[in-house]
Amino acid sequence: MHDSRALRVAIADDALLLREGIAKVLEGGGIDVVASVGTGDELLEVVRGGDIDAAVLDIRMPPSHRDEGIVALETMRASGSTIGVLLLSMYATPEYALRVMGAGSGTGYLLKERVSEPQTLVRAVETVASGGSVVDPEVVEQLVKRTRADDPLSRLTERERSVLELMAQGYSNGGIAQTLFLGLKTVETHVRSILQKLDLEESPEHHRRVLAVLTLLGER
Amino acid sequence: MAPGRKGRIARRAAVIAVVVALSLTMEIAGHQATPPAERNEISYTTLHALVPLVFAACAAIAWKIAPTRAPARLMVAFVVLWIPQSIYRVIGEWEWLWPVVRGVDLGWAVIAGIIVLVYPKGFLSDRFDRWVAGIAFVASIVNLLAVLLLASPESAGCAACAPNPYRLAEAPQLFALIDVGYRIVGVGLALAIAARLLVRWVRASVPARTVAFLMPLALFAWATTLAAQAVTYAAATTTDIVLATVSLIAIASIPVSFDAGVAHARNMRARVADLMRITREGADRGLWAESLARTLRDASVRVFWWDEERGRYADAAGVPIDEAEADPRGSHSILPVASPLGAPIALIRHDRVLTDNMRLLDGVSSALRLSVDNGRLRSEVERTLEQVRQSRQRIVEAGVEARRRIERDLHDGAQQHLVSLGMRLRLAANQARDRGIEPLGAEIDATIAMLNDALKELRELAHGIHPSLLSQGGLALAVPELAGRCPVPVAVDVQAEGRLPELIESTAYFVVAEALANVAKHSGATRAWVRARIEDGELVIVVRDNGRGGASIDAGTGMLGIVDRVEALDGTLEVESPPGAGTTLTIRMPLPKASA
Repeated sequence: MHDSRALRVAIADDALLLREGIAKVLEGGGIDVVASVGTGDELLEVVRGGDIDAAVLDIRMPPSHRDEGIVALETMRASGSTIGVLLLSMYATPEYALRVMGAGSGTGYLLKERVSEPQTLVRAVETVASGGSVVDPEVVEQLVKRTRADDPLSRLTERERSVLELMAQGYSNGGIAQTLFLGLKTVETHVRSILQKLDLEESPEHHRRVLAVLTLLGER
Repeated sequence: MAPGRKGRIARRAAVIAVVVALSLTMEIAGHQATPPAERNEISYTTLHALVPLVFAACAAIAWKIAPTRAPARLMVAFVVLWIPQSIYRVIGEWEWLWPVVRGVDLGWAVIAGIIVLVYPKGFLSDRFDRWVAGIAFVASIVNLLAVLLLASPESAGCAACAPNPYRLAEAPQLFALIDVGYRIVGVGLALAIAARLLVRWVRASVPARTVAFLMPLALFAWATTLAAQAVTYAAATTTDIVLATVSLIAIASIPVSFDAGVAHARNMRARVADLMRITREGADRGLWAESLARTLRDASVRVFWWDEERGRYADAAGVPIDEAEADPRGSHSILPVASPLGAPIALIRHDRVLTDNMRLLDGVSSALRLSVDNGRLRSEVERTLEQVRQSRQRIVEAGVEARRRIERDLHDGAQQHLVSLGMRLRLAANQARDRGIEPLGAEIDATIAMLNDALKELRELAHGIHPSLLSQGGLALAVPELAGRCPVPVAVDVQAEGRLPELIESTAYFVVAEALANVAKHSGATRAWVRARIEDGELVIVVRDNGRGGASIDAGTGMLGIVDRVEALDGTLEVESPPGAGTTLTIRMPLPKASA
C-alpha cells in the first residue's frame, strides 16, 4: 500500500528510554518515526494532524496508568481514523487483546519485550499499517492453556492446533503456510476443518477471523 | 435450693406448729377450767384463740420477707406469751408455777408494742424506740417481781389457786398499785408509740403514707382498747364484750399490718430491680428520672446530673439545680450519687421520708451508678472496637496500597529497564554481526533469551503481587482471568457492573484467588464455579467446587486469611463443606452507601 515510501509512525510511551529504543528499532527497519510523545492525548493530537500510517503506543500511560492506550485506540476508531495501531504492554492479557481486536482492523497487541526482536516489531507495525492483525503469541499461549471442561479444542488435531494458534496471532493463510512450511492448499484445508469443528464462520475480513478465534478461546 | 435453707424452713415450720398446738391446747384447757359462770361466750373465746393463730401465720410470712429475723421471733414469742392469760387458772394447783405465769400474763402486750417499734426495719432504730422498749421491759420485770413476792391467790384474781410460795409480804395495796400501775404505764407507752406513728404519718408525704398507713391505725385501735381495758380493770368492772372483741381484732391486725407494710416495701425494691433493667437497656436520662419517680412513688423526685464541663448539676433538660432545692431544711432530701472512684454522677432530690428506707435508696443509687458506669463502659468498648475496626481496615488498605505500589514500581522501573536492556543487547548483537563477529552475536542472543525468561518470571511475580488487570478493568475482567489460570476448569459469572471501591475489589480478588488455590490444592475437584453479584448493597461472592469437601475455617488452608480480609471490611464468610459433597464459600461484603 505504501510501498512507494517509508511508513510514517508515531510513538507514545511515558518511558523515554523505551520510546527512544522503539524509535531506533523501527528506524533500523526502515520506518520513519515522525513523532514521539508521552501520553495518549498527545498522540491523538499528532494523529489528528494527519499523514501518519501507524501508531505504536503503550497501554499504561499517564494520567491514570490503566488503559489509556486502548482508550486512545478506541477514540481514533470512533473518529474514523483507520491507521494501524500497535499496542504494547508489559503483561500478556487476553482480555486486552480481545478489546484491541474488537476495536477494528489494523490493530495489534504485543508484549513490550518484543522490542528486543526487531523483525517482530517491524513486521507487526507493517502488518497493522496494512490493515492486518497482530496478537502476541504469549496471549494465545495463555488462552490455549486455559482449562475448560468439554474443551472444543480437544476435537482438533495437533497440526490443527498449531494452525489455530497462528490464526489467533493474526497470521494470514499465506503466513501460516510460510511459518509451518506447508503448502497454501494444505493450510486452507486445515483452516476450513478448524472453523467447522469449532463452529465458526469463514469471514471474508481477516481481522474478524482473528477476533472470532480469540473470542472462542477466551470463552471456552 | 441450698440445703441449709431447707432445714431452716423445716425448723421454722416445726416451731410454729408447736406454739400453735400449745396455744390451742391451753386456750381450750383454760376455757374448760374456767367456772361456767365466768366463762366468756364461745364466739369471744374462738376469736381469742384465733389471735395467736394470726400471729403464727404472720410469723411464717415475716420470716420470709422481713429484713431481719426479729419480727418473726417476736410474733412467735407473742403466741407463747398469749397463753398465760387463760392458763394460770388451769395450773392453779401447781403453786410453784402459777405465780410466774400470772407475772407474765401481759407479756403479749409488750411484745405487740415492740413489734410495732421494730417496724419496718426489723430492729429498734432510734432512741425513742429504745427508751420505750426499755421502760416496758423494766416495768414488766417490776410487775413480775410484784406478782411473785406480793400476790395472793385472791389479789391475783385466782381464788382457786394454791398459795403463792414466793410471797414475802402481805401488802395488798402495794400489789394492787403496781398491778394497775403496770397496766397504766403500758397504756401510756402504747399511746405514745401510737401518737408518734400517727404524727409521723400525718407529716409524711404521699409516698410515705402509702407505705405506712395500716400500722398506726392498728396500733391506735389497739392502744385505745388497751386503755379502755386498763380503766375497766382498775375500776374492777366486767369488760364490755364489744370493746373486748374490738381489742382482739386490733391486736390481730398488728402482725398483718406489719407483713403488709414490709411486703409493700419489698415491692418497691423489686421496682428498683426494674430500674436496673432499664439501666441495662441504656435508657436516656429523662426516662430514667421518670421511672425513678414511679419506683419511689414520689412524683416530686428530680434527678440532677453532674455536668463535667460546667462543674454543676443540671436536670436532663439542662436546667441547673436551684439553690433552694438543695436546701437540706426543706421537705426534700438530697441523695448524692458518685462513681466508685468518687467522681460525682448525680443528685437525686427526693421526699424526706424516703430517707427511712435506706435500702431502697441504696438500691436506687446503685442502679444509677451502674447505669452511668455501664454507659461509660459501653461507649468505651464501642469506641475501642471502632478504633480496632478502623485500624484493621487501615492495615488491609495499607497492604493493598503497598502491593499496588510495588507492582507499579516494578512496571515502571525494573521491567522497563530490562526491556530497554534487551533492546540494546539486540542492537549490540546486530552490530556484532554487522562486523562479522558471529560468536559474540550468538552469545548476546543467548543472553537476550535468558533476559526474556527473567522478564517473564518478573511479569508473573508482579502479576501475583497486584494484577494490573484488576486496577484497570475491575472484577469483571480480573476474575475470569484468575479463573483461567486455575488448573481446575472454572465457570465464572461476574455481574458487578461498573467499578467497586478499590479495597473491596482487591479483597474480593484475593479472596477468590485464595479460594481457587484451595480448590486446586486441596479439594480434588474436577469443576468449580465462581459467582459474584451485588445483592441488597452487598457484594456476594460464591466459590463452589465438586471436590471432597470437609474444609473448615480452622483447617489452616488459608481460610483464616480470607476471614481476616473479609472481616476487616465488615464482611462475612460462610463455609459449607460436608465431607464428600464439595465446598461452597459464600463471602458477603457490604458496599459503601454511595456505590451500592
